Amino acid sequence: MKKLGLLFSALMIVLLTLSACTAVPQTAAPAAGGESAGGQTTGSEAAAPAAEGGKLAAIKAAGKIVVGTSADYAPYESIDENGNFVGFDMDLIRAVGEKLGVEVEIVDMPFDSLIAAVQQGKIDAVIAAMQATAERDQQVDFTIPYRMTKDAFVAAGNSSLVIEKPEDAAGKRIGAQTGTVQEGWIQKNLVETGLTPADQVFSYERADQAALDVASGRIDLLLMDAEPSIALADETGLKILLITELTAEGGKSIAIPDGAADLKAELDRIIQELIDDGTVLKIQEANGLP
Amino acid sequence: MQQFLELLGNAFPYLVAGTLETLRIATGALLLGIAIGLPTGVGRVYGPPWLQRVLGAYVTLFQGTPLLIQLFFVYYGLPSLGITFPQFIAALLTLGLNSGAYQAEYLRGALQSVGVGQMTAARAIGMSETQAIRSIILPQALRLVLPAWSNEVIAMLKNTAVVFVIAIPDLMGQAKILASKYFAPLPIYMIVAVFYIVLVGITYLLLRQVERRTQIPGLTNEAE
Amino acid sequence: MEFIQDLITTLNFILQGLWVTIGVTIVALTVGLLFGVVTAMLRVYGNAFFKRLAAVYSVIVRAVPVIVIIFILYFVIARFVNLSPFWAGSLALGFASGAYQTEIFRGAFQSVPPGQMVAARAIGMSRLQAIQSIIFPQAVRLALPGWGNEATLVLKDSTLVFVVGVPEILRRAQQVSARTLEPFVAYAAALLLYLALTLLTTQILQWLERRYRLQM
Repeated sequence: MKKLGLLFSALMIVLLTLSACTAVPQTAAPAAGGESAGGQTTGSEAAAPAAEGGKLAAIKAAGKIVVGTSADYAPYESIDENGNFVGFDMDLIRAVGEKLGVEVEIVDMPFDSLIAAVQQGKIDAVIAAMQATAERDQQVDFTIPYRMTKDAFVAAGNSSLVIEKPEDAAGKRIGAQTGTVQEGWIQKNLVETGLTPADQVFSYERADQAALDVASGRIDLLLMDAEPSIALADETGLKILLITELTAEGGKSIAIPDGAADLKAELDRIIQELIDDGTVLKIQEANGLP
Repeated sequence: MQQFLELLGNAFPYLVAGTLETLRIATGALLLGIAIGLPTGVGRVYGPPWLQRVLGAYVTLFQGTPLLIQLFFVYYGLPSLGITFPQFIAALLTLGLNSGAYQAEYLRGALQSVGVGQMTAARAIGMSETQAIRSIILPQALRLVLPAWSNEVIAMLKNTAVVFVIAIPDLMGQAKILASKYFAPLPIYMIVAVFYIVLVGITYLLLRQVERRTQIPGLTNEAE
Repeated sequence: MEFIQDLITTLNFILQGLWVTIGVTIVALTVGLLFGVVTAMLRVYGNAFFKRLAAVYSVIVRAVPVIVIIFILYFVIARFVNLSPFWAGSLALGFASGAYQTEIFRGAFQSVPPGQMVAARAIGMSRLQAIQSIIFPQAVRLALPGWGNEATLVLKDSTLVFVVGVPEILRRAQQVSARTLEPFVAYAAALLLYLALTLLTTQILQWLERRYRLQM
């Protein structure tokens, strides 16, 4: 009985701590001990207080920008045999870093922890073929898109499925990467509408693991970005049934801390420059992107 | 506080579904573990030398490597050899084999602590080794192994927390999905911690009842 | 032949994670040792409040899967200080291990015959002096077998920090299997590597035990 009392009091402590200090993220995350390097608070978008007024200056002062990515997504980002980060996003962010005049430090982490990492200030930005969705925009800020998104429905090479529109995926076993727009699309448009039972939907840590499961027949379909799916399909003998923009929510952007208006302005400017002067096109070609 | 409650309300049904999945896997794996561990334990003590070596290798392999990597190997590695298990089966198999190895060792210890003299006496009155094991040694050993086995049950509940890596929507799997959906990792994981505390607490209490009921007065485990 | 070549490149790539794994294990064990010994002492010699605190720590943390603890602490730590995944993950693992180590050391402290504390006080030592010079050295040696077991467990659990992005053995295996599309080779290599590690560690621990073990 003593152990029971112990467990109970412990449970109480845990619950109290839970409600007291876990802050559910709100639309405007206040900065915890913001940078003192800037000092100016530039007025920014409607909901976010410009608490990160000095983010750009802080990065320049540090001489480097720490960028998070999830390197399981060739040709956007992956790791080559020497352990270097390669891919379209990687080349792009290095070009951005050059224009900013800072070094680029890339950190690999699971895709679904990238947003949290920016919010906590562990990284300064995210470049991971990430779409600027409305929900994500409440947690972080995004630059202008540097590329539009196309999704693909991928199936095994010998699959007889026919997908002419996204909803044709109803009822099949389908997978996506945890925390992606594609996973969200499946939940909203297939599970919540009742078209697909919840136990036919699978969430994977890594895109390549999901591809392996399509190849081995454990799932019928995979919904992911089109370009990486082309690369995976080639290598694992999968086939792409449909490429569509209907499941996407926007273009791919770099994510930055919420309210970092000066950083956003500068990155927007650089991205536009890189688009205009053909650098983006060159990087696209170099990485085999259409 | 209100937002937290809202989050809890939204997440709760998914987490409960996840808990049920966790319990399904844990129960199945434990049963498989017994089915494997029992004969392995007996074989390790009373089997012919070659069998002891083979079983020893099995135990060393599963006790000497992390469960997580075993899962990855079984689920993502074996298909290269043409062996493809669906998610649930893969988890069941791997956790079952893993648990079996530990259970075999507990049983081995218990078998060995039942006095050697008992086997001698049994043989002396004409019992075969198998009869002696079945009627005399094993029943005692099983009673002795209960505390360790109770630990194994609790350990299994916690071990299931890694099966989300093979796309199983157990408690942790649901937690990861919810954490990214609501952009609230810390609250979600803390709620999940509470779920596990409750699960483990209830299981512990149940096991204690079982232990009390099956205790033989006078027969104690020297190790405890 | 190509298979052998693949095997070698794969092994090479994964091996780079070996030092990270060892690093995580060592840091986690050290942190766990700190938490474990301190809370064990609080539990055995502390006043009622500290006893309760230590007990809560031990019971709660042991009731939660280690991977959940790692996730929680990773985010909690991130709120206050900017640590790399390696340090955050290792600290989290250490905190979890501490709850198990506290039980080991508690048992060890309690195994030292109570007469020794009485005798020490009788010749004028303070409680602290007694613990320091007489009880603790014996307790540490009594704890060795249990601690050795825990050390092996931490070695295996070190792989869990891959979820926060630490490039240890498993993460490297994942990365290389994503590239070579030979998951069997990659994960088999990871398994064998860990097997070698645990066997080596067990040998070292057994040697340590033989040298320093105290039979009571």
